[in-house]
Order: sequence, then C-alpha cells, then structure tokens
Amino acid sequence: MATVTVIADDVTTVEARIDGERVLIDPAALPAAIGWTLKPEGLCRDDVCVPVRDRTTLLVDGQVDLVAAAAALHRPVVVDTVDPVHPYVAVALPAEERRRALRELEAPEFTLPDLDGTPHSLSEWRGRKRLLQAFSSW
Amino acid sequence: MIAVAIDESADDVRPWVDGITMPVLLDREHLLTEVFAISNVPAVVWIDEAGRIARPTAVAFGSDMFKDFTGVGAGPHLDAVRRWVREGVVDIDTDTARNAVPDLADDEVLARLHFRIGTAARRDGNDTTARTHLERAVELAPDDLTIWRAAMPLLGEDPFGEPFFAKFQAWQERGSPFHGLDAMTGRDAQEGV
Repeated sequence: MATVTVIADDVTTVEARIDGERVLIDPAALPAAIGWTLKPEGLCRDDVCVPVRDRTTLLVDGQVDLVAAAAALHRPVVVDTVDPVHPYVAVALPAEERRRALRELEAPEFTLPDLDGTPHSLSEWRGRKRLLQAFSSW
Repeated sequence: MIAVAIDESADDVRPWVDGITMPVLLDREHLLTEVFAISNVPAVVWIDEAGRIARPTAVAFGSDMFKDFTGVGAGPHLDAVRRWVREGVVDIDTDTARNAVPDLADDEVLARLHFRIGTAARRDGNDTTARTHLERAVELAPDDLTIWRAAMPLLGEDPFGEPFFAKFQAWQERGSPFHGLDAMTGRDAQEGV
C-alpha cells in the first residue's frame, strides 16, 4: 500500500494500491478524494449522477481506480507513480464547466483561504459588485 | 474588491498587502487560473450583484508602478470601474464579453496539474519529483505566465531577473498571448483614486 497525495477539489491523502498507472482505493475513500461517490447508478454528487457504462474499467477486485473515475467524470488527470511509496494524482475540473461559465458569463463559485487560513467563497459577497483581482509576488 | 494571490505561501504575499483591508485570498493550487482561464497577472474580472461576469478576465494594474515596463497605466481601468459602480455602465457588450476569453488548451490544463503535483511534492521535500513536474508544466504552457513565471522561484530562478526578461521578450514577440481582454488604454485617471 502507498499513501497517495490527491490534488483535486482539495489536497488530501488516501491509502491506495498502485498497479501500473492505476491507483486503486477503497470505494468508501472516493468521496473524500474527488468529491464523488460510486453508487449503483454511477458516480454521484448531490443530486447528480454520471452513469458509468463499463464498471469493469472502474472496479478491480472491489477497489475503485481513481484515475478511471476521474476520466469517467471527464476530468483531466495526471498521475505520478514513479515513487511507489509516495505517488501523486492531480485532477482538473471538467473542462465543460469552465467553458460553460465563460460562454454563459456565469461566475463559477470557488472557495479559497485568506492569509490566516479561514476559507471564503465568492458567494459570501453576493448582492454586491465584486472586482476580483488576481495578483502575485512573482 | 477581492484580491487573490496566485502564490505558494502566505508569507510570500504578506509584504504586498500590508495595511490592506480588503479580502486577500491565497490560491496555492492556482484554482482561480483554471476556473476563469487566467494566464497572467495582474488580471481582473468584474462580477455583478447576481453573480454574472459583467466584464471577463482582463489585464489591469492597481497602480502605475509597472507603467514604464508594461506601457499600461492604472487610470483607464480605474475610471471604468468607477463608472460601473456608480452608473452600472460596462464598456463592452455581451457578445464581446462571451468571446473575450478563449478556453484553456488541453496542455494548459495539464500544465496546471503538473504544477500542482510539483508544488505538493516540493512541500513534501520530494525535490526530484517537484522539479520534474514543474519543468513539465513549463514545457506544456510556454505562453502562460501563471505557470512558467510562477515556477521560476520554485525552481530556484529569479522571476525578476535576466532569465525572466529574456522569456518575457520572447513571449511578447509571440504577440503576448493572453486569455482575456487587453488592458484599457487612454487618458490617465484623475487624481484621488
């Protein structure tokens, strides 16, 4: 077993078995890793379920492949299993969500910490005009 | 005003926001650059009361500190912000707004994922893994300064040094590709911001 760092909606770690490019985890650990739950009807979050046509691509010996789950959700993924003790998996947002936001001009919700670590969401300031400014020290 | 620092640590940001009272958020994973397709800083997005993007990603500076270098002053944008706040007027129409920000290319999305693995590995002390992924991110997104310039300090390079200026000049020669509206130009702002 290895402790995988998963960088998706949050940065988390999960115990996994590495099989080539597959990162096999306990299905119960999937929600904490990528925010979706494997159910009979597919991969689900809140009221939304994405059907999974071929479950054999997703499940191996009762464990779920994190990489295949991300792919089933149309989320781009990068995997590094070179170091078998400490692999990394990074999962992007579904590209379609961003495209829709840009096209429909709907500001996507996001949550980020302030400099003291307290999380804030864009919707906290709903009802006011917001000037969002991205800057950096570099 | 909500400022979002596309930076690795709060300590990197604090010297820049001393005495500032508006919310300052820290975006270590470059989430904002993914959800809004932002490829350089400083970048601004106007969001109205209902959560609609009133004016999409654009280059805009808060002051004239870099005006000599960039040729862009803060004034025209600040004037436009005032008109928006006071009169609700936006200087571009909806069609222009919808088409102003090209989506990220697949490689630019993958670059963000490699960048995130790179910074996570760096925090873990896995320096070889970190370097491999940060360098891969830079290869995949040569026009995205939130990748290649942000990676410089993490790779031991000076983001204000000669290697930066050489790469910046090459980027300018490619037409300064940017996912969003160009900076506003025009007369300088009135005093009393």
